[in-house]
Amino acid sequence: MIELKNLHKTYHGENGSLDALRGVSIHVQEGEIFGVIGKSGAGKSTLIRCINMLERPGSGSVIVDGEELTTMPERQLREMRKRIGMIFQHFNLLSSRTVYDNIAFPLELAGQSAAEIAAAVNPLLDLVGLADKRNQYPAQLSGGQKQRVGIARALANRPKVLLCDEATSALDPQTTHSILELLRDINQKLGLTIVIITHEMQVIKEICDRVAVMENGLVIEEGSVIDLFVRPQTPTTKEFIRTIVSHDLPDVFAGLPFTDTPQPGSNLMLRLSFIGSSANEPVIAGLIRRFNVDVNILFGNIDHLKNTPFGTLLVEVSGDDAAIQSALQYLQEIELGIEVIGYVARNARATA
Amino acid sequence: MSQEMLALLLEALGETLYMVAVSAGIATVLGVPLGVILVSTSRGHILQNLWLNRILGYIANATRSTPFIILMVAIIPLTRVLAGTSIGTNAAIVPLSIAAIPFVGRVVESALREVDYGLIEAAQAMGASPMQIIRRVLLPEAMPSIVLGLTLAVISLIGYSAMAGAIGGGGLGDLAIRFGYQRFRVDVMISTVVILIALVQLVQSAGDLLSRRLNKK
Ligand SMILES: Nc1ncnc2c1ncn2[C@@H]1O[C@H](COP(=O)(O)OP(=O)(O)OP(=O)(O)O)[C@@H](O)[C@H]1O
Ligand SMILES: [Mg+2]
Repeated sequence: MIELKNLHKTYHGENGSLDALRGVSIHVQEGEIFGVIGKSGAGKSTLIRCINMLERPGSGSVIVDGEELTTMPERQLREMRKRIGMIFQHFNLLSSRTVYDNIAFPLELAGQSAAEIAAAVNPLLDLVGLADKRNQYPAQLSGGQKQRVGIARALANRPKVLLCDEATSALDPQTTHSILELLRDINQKLGLTIVIITHEMQVIKEICDRVAVMENGLVIEEGSVIDLFVRPQTPTTKEFIRTIVSHDLPDVFAGLPFTDTPQPGSNLMLRLSFIGSSANEPVIAGLIRRFNVDVNILFGNIDHLKNTPFGTLLVEVSGDDAAIQSALQYLQEIELGIEVIGYVARNARATA
Repeated sequence: MSQEMLALLLEALGETLYMVAVSAGIATVLGVPLGVILVSTSRGHILQNLWLNRILGYIANATRSTPFIILMVAIIPLTRVLAGTSIGTNAAIVPLSIAAIPFVGRVVESALREVDYGLIEAAQAMGASPMQIIRRVLLPEAMPSIVLGLTLAVISLIGYSAMAGAIGGGGLGDLAIRFGYQRFRVDVMISTVVILIALVQLVQSAGDLLSRRLNKK
């Protein structure tokens, strides 16, 4: 549905130029919720604004719904933009218009009649749950309600794509949750393709199917949200995951002398991630039975990635040195998310 | 005060209102587009055109920095062409309008600049053309500030119109000079001043009220 190929964008300012995008390629499938996460200044907003040409990329290609946008003449581009909805961090509602008239705005721009507008706006008011606020002005609404108006407005032209730039960053966690739920609902009901820009892993975790991680104008990691959580490749991604899945070691282990390689007579500390059905397999029991090792569970946590259960276990494997290695090999083979934290001398905990 | 004087005062008030209303109307019709152009052609804005922006900016500044009394005399030839005469209320309307157009232009410019650029981008994202953005986003959103600015312009015009009286423009200023000053009629002088003060108060209150009504923020 959206194909970005090798996008470059350089801003020329008074104090030199800045490469905001340095060759970004992304393919967003029809009907999916695609997340882009990155720290401040990574180039996320620049990227999403290139999708509807609010920002013109220096080079590269932007294809939305089969049409190349970078070479499109202005007039045609305006028509194209009506098929791409967008919502903003600060809502950008017209303060001089009521809720109803804000939602009607894009339809007025398109030259629709009052009757056509009413037929489109009324169901949207119901969809976002603001039918009773139709005659209020934005100043009288809460942040979450304003974003609902923003969403309804973005949907008025029945777009195929919805772009969300930090749409929940100005909202509290509860409101964020309800807005994300609304977006997920819309995605399912209308089959809308959604691109979400965020710096909050919580947003990715709650509703995204796939995700790209950006840093310094580049996509440094991309894949399904599940893959990202189970097998994060880059330190940045790991850091983001750590913001919602605690990776802190229990107090008694913090500060112990870990080594990366097995030492004679040491225990292996592992972090295991379980996804979906694998969360139900008796992995730990199997481990103990097959390899004659002891498994001590230090920490456990169960969460959801969109609708998929996702668990994390922190375990300490002890036993014969060779047995520990076979157990490790087995775990690596069965496609579990596994991270070796290190080896720690068997008696270190007692003496610590 | 005699019946006769009262009639004169009323007539003068009528002339002042006529001059101010017509020149405010002209200044609005031409000054609002000027303000729109000054904003929309500026750097990074929807119709960026730096040359046009600079030239209009210079003209507006030059007009605004010329003292009104000098402007009025300086453009007498133009006034003759446009009004057919250089004295009387119709003649006064020419310099009054010319002084007020850049004033309104600048006032509208600053009102439009207050509009959050995010609103413009939101409209662009919906496929709005520059004209649609101006008419449906910029002007309505800035309307409360524009009304306050126009109020200020009208009040300035009331003051200028009294000055126009000095060169035979008619109106309250003319009356005050001819009777109050040259014939030592203190009562006429005081009456015109009181009427002018009341007029300014009235315009200011009406402008404030309207602006507040329009402001939904
Ligand atoms: N209009 C602009 N002119 C100059 N530099 C810009 C402009 N817009 C963005 N930049 C710069 O480009 C880089 C990327 O900006 P961008 O807004 O895309 O980052 P972001 O990932 O969205 O960050 P944030 O999370 O803070 O919104 C930043 O270093 C920013 O300062
Ligand atoms: Mg941003």
